[in-house]
Order: sequence, then structure tokens, then C-alpha cells
Amino acid sequence: MKLSMGWPRTLASRLSLIFLIGLILAQALSFGAQYYERYESAKNTMLGNLETDVSTSVAILDRLPAHERAGWLKQLDRRNYRYLLDEGSPGTSMDMNMPEAPIAMTSIKDAIGMEYPMTVTDIPGPQKRFQVHLKLSDGSPLTIDVRPSMVPLSPWLPIVLLGQLALMLACTWLAVRIAIRPLTRLAEAVDTLDPNTHPVLLDEKGPTEVAHAARAFNAMQARIAAYLKERMQLLAAISHDLQTPITRMKLRAEFMDDCVEKDKLWNDLSEMEHLVREGVAYARSVHGATEESRRTDLDSFLDSLVFDYQDVGKQVQLSGKSTTVIDTRPHALRRVLVNLTDNALKFAGAAELLVEKNADGSVSVKVMDRGPGIAEAELAQVMEPFYRVENSRNRSTGGTGLGLAIAQQLALAIGGSLTLSNREGGGLCAELKLRG
Amino acid sequence: MEHVDHILIVDDDREIRELVGNYLKKNGLRTTVVADGRQMRTFLESTPVDLIVLDIMMPGDDGLMLCRELRSGKHKATPVLMLTARNDETDRIIGLEMGADDYLVKPFAARELLARINAVLRRTRMLPPNLVVTESSRLLAFGRWQLDTSARHLLDGDGTMVALSGAEYRLLRVFLDHPQRVLNRDQLLNLTQGRDADLFDRSIDLLVSRLRQRLLDDAREPAYIKTVRSEGYVFSLPVEIVGAPA
Repeated sequence: MKLSMGWPRTLASRLSLIFLIGLILAQALSFGAQYYERYESAKNTMLGNLETDVSTSVAILDRLPAHERAGWLKQLDRRNYRYLLDEGSPGTSMDMNMPEAPIAMTSIKDAIGMEYPMTVTDIPGPQKRFQVHLKLSDGSPLTIDVRPSMVPLSPWLPIVLLGQLALMLACTWLAVRIAIRPLTRLAEAVDTLDPNTHPVLLDEKGPTEVAHAARAFNAMQARIAAYLKERMQLLAAISHDLQTPITRMKLRAEFMDDCVEKDKLWNDLSEMEHLVREGVAYARSVHGATEESRRTDLDSFLDSLVFDYQDVGKQVQLSGKSTTVIDTRPHALRRVLVNLTDNALKFAGAAELLVEKNADGSVSVKVMDRGPGIAEAELAQVMEPFYRVENSRNRSTGGTGLGLAIAQQLALAIGGSLTLSNREGGGLCAELKLRG
Repeated sequence: MEHVDHILIVDDDREIRELVGNYLKKNGLRTTVVADGRQMRTFLESTPVDLIVLDIMMPGDDGLMLCRELRSGKHKATPVLMLTARNDETDRIIGLEMGADDYLVKPFAARELLARINAVLRRTRMLPPNLVVTESSRLLAFGRWQLDTSARHLLDGDGTMVALSGAEYRLLRVFLDHPQRVLNRDQLLNLTQGRDADLFDRSIDLLVSRLRQRLLDDAREPAYIKTVRSEGYVFSLPVEIVGAPA
């Protein structure tokens, strides 16, 4: 848990983090190793130099006549130690053998300790500094003033380090981007994948793995489209081939004498015919409409629909006005409303249509009835193909279980949405929402 | 001797064409059945018929091609009723565009076919249309409106679709087919009833008032459909055929 809390969510940030931490650690290690190596070699060189240099310098000063010594001091001064011909500055005396004694002191002792007895004092101050006091052979004092320090780092080093950091950041960003982008594109393509419309093919160029994924995706898309098409063709072929025998049977039935059996046969045939038509209609609705969208006056559209029902004596009423012109596919819209109205007529014997303009500019067309309604738990399922409400009179009235599925598919295809709800006081309300 | 209507049935399914032929014969029509376009042409060479029932889905020349052929030849006045196996709006529309007078979707009931045949015969006999709508010019223009005769809706000045109910379309079509000519209520009822045999009768007056509303016509001073006292109605504007919209 603790680990996952700090672990960033996106793959991009995870990869960036791994790259960055890795690169920075590697960089720090190699820098550290080099620095240590440089420090060690510099120290050894310096101490070696110090030993010979100090013993040589002290020997020169010792052999020079006392009045010439001051003149040589200048030549004998080094970057971090120099010679003074006096007792030196006051300070606390240091034990030569203590373990934390500066190594420079040990070197000096090793170099000249045998010939010259010496004392060492530590000079307090912000910078580490100590002085070695000794007496030359003529008895005059000599002080070696030592300021131990490493050769300072070059001033450009931090800039180089910063540059390296920037380079690492840039490379990480680029690498992560290159790695992530095809993934993002693939996700987008899958998101927008709609087998009903023309397939949007992914670019099959790029690195091998990416090209492979793109090809696989395109192939999958083609397969889905092929399956859908095959299903459509199968449904269409079955229904078409069924239509001829059904037509023959219907014609034959009409030659039969009027009797109960004839009516029953007739009803069975009508049911088969209905199923065949709805099957094709459903396949088509899933496959997406080929119909073109056009500007449609919604009020006259609903008027004409309701009048068509009224003209054949059906109880269908329209209330409300939208005064809206919408862009829609009229046949698909009509089919949605006809299916909903037929459903209402089947279960309630009457349908009420209500059109309203919503505040957000969309338009709602409600098809309502006072029939038995649908149990809340089943409201979502009834829009699935071939689903039938268990307790309904469906079996006796002969439904295909496709009417609502077709209505929903087509509602989606024309950019609308279809929702079912039970009305207060009983009955069903199917609301079709259309963009204004 | 009384004239008996002669119906030619063209369908590649032997059983269907014979069943249909027998049914129509039983109901007082004279029938001939043929299996394809070739036989149809041969038969029409020698014998004129009153109406042709044409199946759309046929091997070889299909119904749509044959219908177009009939319309461009010497049989262009013979009414055609199409049988279509597919239940698809576009097929119906195409069938009517090709010049068919009516269509029926398979599987159909024989009695419905009979009713349609009688309706088409009655319609074409009573008042042959003044305008012949073809597939390339299927828009009828009048006033500020256009009627799309294949999609069966009105288009206003800026191309917005105004839908018509079935009965409204049929009535308007009757008016547009016979513009500037007084039609009495019986004629209008007969011509309008056409398609659905068991259409619930609306009075013509109600339909006319609905149609006026649809055309945004003022009922007190109508510009399109005028009332002729004690005679009937007249469509008062000229109508012209225009090409299909791009």
C-alpha cells in the first residue's frame, strides 16, 4: 500500500521516474568514483612532493647564511605552505602522534623529523591551518605554515553537471514520449472504434512493435466489420428466403375455406412474417443507417405520424409543440416513434405523444401509455434484442422482442437517446431525446 | 360484352405467380402469368393488358429495369404494381421512382393485392394524371413549396422537410396531378383512398383543412386549395415538374 501510494498513476510518469532516477544514480556514481580517484592520486602526488620539497627547502635554508635566507623564502613558498623565519603565531600545541593529525604533518615529520626536533601548533581560524616549529642547525627558528586544502574544483564543473542533468531530462522525456504515444493513439482508436461507420485505420508506420500493434488493430477492426457484415447478410438471406415460402403459404391459405384452422394458420404466418421483418430491421439498425440526414420540421413530422394512426382508427394523441427544425434521418426517427407507439397500442390500446423543448436546446418526445408498465428491474433489459418481459401478454400478442431494441439502436444512430420509465399512476413512458 | 380487366403477372416463382393468378381469376379478373422479362415482352407484343404485376427480385432483368423499360416504351400508360421482397424504405422509393403506380411488400395477402389492383385501375381510369413524374424529375413545384414524390414529403423554400401523413400526401398528389380543375368530394375520396383497402375514412373536408394547415394556407382566404361552393375544391396554382435536388 505504502509503495503504491507514492507510485505515480501514469505510465509516462513511471517510466520517466525510472529513467531519471537510474540515470542520475549512474551519473552520481561515476562522478563520485572519478572524484575519489582524483582525490587519492592528487593526495599521493602532493604528499610525495611535500616530503621531498620540505626536506629540500629546509636543507637549503639550513645551509644558507642567515642573512640570505629571507631572500630565498619567496622561491620556496608553495600554494598551501610557506616558510617563516620566526617563532610563528600562537596556537594550541598538537600531539604528533594523535590519530587525527593531518597527514601533511606526518609527511613533514617523516621527511625531516629525524634531523630536526619539531613542535606543531594548531592555529585557530575559519580555515584549517597549523604551523610546524623547528630550529635550524645555527639555532635560528623556522616555522612552516601549512594550510592543507585540495586543489579547488573548476568553476565550470557545476555548469557541466547541470548540462548533463538537462540532457538526461530531455532524453527521458523524448524516450517516454516515443514509447507512450503509440499506446495513447491505440487507446484512442479503440475508444472511437465503431464498426458501423467507416473504419479509421491506424498508421502502420513507425518502430517494428508499434507497426505490428497497428497492423493487428487494423486487422481486428476489419474482422469485426466482416463479422457484422456476415451477420447482416445471414439475417437478410434467411429472411429473404423465408419470404417466398411465407408468401406461398399465405396465398394458399387464402384458398382454404373459412374455418378456425385457417385463421390460426393465418396468424402463425403473420407472426413469422413479422419476425422476419423485424430481424432484418434490427440487423440494419445495428449496421448503421445509410439514410441521409435532412432538415426536418418536427411538428409536422409528429402531426403526420399521429394522423396516420388516427386515419386507421387508432387511439393516438399528440400534445405540445416544439417549433423546432432538427437535422435528422426521417425514416429512422419515424421507425423509432412507430415502434414505441405500436408498443403502447399493443399493451394499452392507446398512446399519448408529448413533445417538449428542453432548456438546453434538446427536444424530448415522450410516448406514454396507461398499460401495465414494466418492472423497474427489467427496464434496462427490455431494450436488449429478443428480451421479453416475463409476465406480459407478449406471448399471446405475438411480439418479436425486437421492437424496443430496434428503437434504441436507431435512436443512437440518429444521435439521440432512449429511456424508459414507469409513469406515476401506472403505464410506461418512453422518452426520446434529440439534439435540437 | 362487359370488359374484363386483363392482369399480367411477372414473377420468377412458379407457385406464387400461379397462386396469384388463380386468386385473381377467382375474383373475376382475366390473368396471364409469365416467368421473366423475356416472356413478358413477347406476350405484350401481341396482347395489350390493363395492369402489370411485376416482381422486383428476379434473375436476369429485374423488376426495376423492366418497369423503366415499360415506362419508356409504348406501354407507358399501362399501370404497374410492384412486388418487393425486401422490406426496405429505399426499395419502395426506388420502385415508385421508376414509374410504378403502387407497390406491395412480400409476403402479402392476396386480397390486399386484389384491393390494390382495383384501386390503381380506378385511379388511372377516373382521372389520368396530367403530369408524368419520372425518376429524374420527381419534384412538383407550386407556390413556395416543392413536393418530393418519391420520399413523399414537402420541402419549403430553404429545403426543410415538412412531413405529410399518408392521406395528406395522397390528397395533395391528387390536387397536383389535376391542377386548376374542380374536383368534387366523390372524386377526391376515390382518388385519395387508393392504397390501404381498410383505410378509416376521413371526410375530405377534414383532410383539406389539415392540408391547408400543412401548407400554411389561410383557410379564410386560401391561396392553394380553394373551396368551390356546392361543387368541391380546386387547386388554384400552376404546378411544374422540376429536377431532383442535387
